[in-house]
Amino acid sequence: MKIELNISTELINEIALSKHQTISEKAGAVVTFSGIVRAQEGESQISAINYESFDEMAEHQFKLIFSEINERWPIESIRLIHRIGIVKVNEASLWVEVISCHRKEAFDACQYLINEMKSRVPIWKKIINK
Amino acid sequence: MKNAENKSYQIFKAAHSNIYSMKIKVRFWSYFSDLTGCKQTSIEVDQGITLGQLHEKVCDKFLELKAAKNSTLKVVNVDYQDSNFVLSDGDEVSLFPPVQGG
Repeated sequence: MKIELNISTELINEIALSKHQTISEKAGAVVTFSGIVRAQEGESQISAINYESFDEMAEHQFKLIFSEINERWPIESIRLIHRIGIVKVNEASLWVEVISCHRKEAFDACQYLINEMKSRVPIWKKIINK
Repeated sequence: MKNAENKSYQIFKAAHSNIYSMKIKVRFWSYFSDLTGCKQTSIEVDQGITLGQLHEKVCDKFLELKAAKNSTLKVVNVDYQDSNFVLSDGDEVSLFPPVQGG
């Protein structure tokens, strides 16, 4: 399984990412997910979220999750970008792409990856109010 | 007799504190660094201390962390560990609230 992981302050450019997509002849499913910063967080109207990451551990935990996925589903590749620093409303904080032969494993692996990330990968939000 | 033995042990231990103690670096992440007023600290502890015991010591030093004690996630180097984990010299501990990626 091919992996690309990037924890970055850079804007997520989905057009550039799709141009750099590599896909084999066996692939039949590409699932992508973008997590976008909402204008409303709980009761508050916000302007942005400041993401903080414990980078070394985040990379280690992501690699553990990728390894678990590799054992459970026949996935061809995963690309994941998580932004850190200030991410404004309507910008993507997370982008995931999972490629596999069939859609079920791509959807299942993508869902697993995001669920596990939310419980294990050391990234935190600090809300910036309007 | 037992008290005398214990006292002798304490004197021996104090004389050889470099053998029986170690310094553990503790890092605070997310709002824990706001609560403590620092990103990291160093705590001198006895060899054989567990992660849970160290966490108690940290909460005694930084009382602001006590309220979040039960929900605190504890990490040694880059792996989550439970309270019974025995720390070794050179280990780096991180304490932080539940994660919120995505």
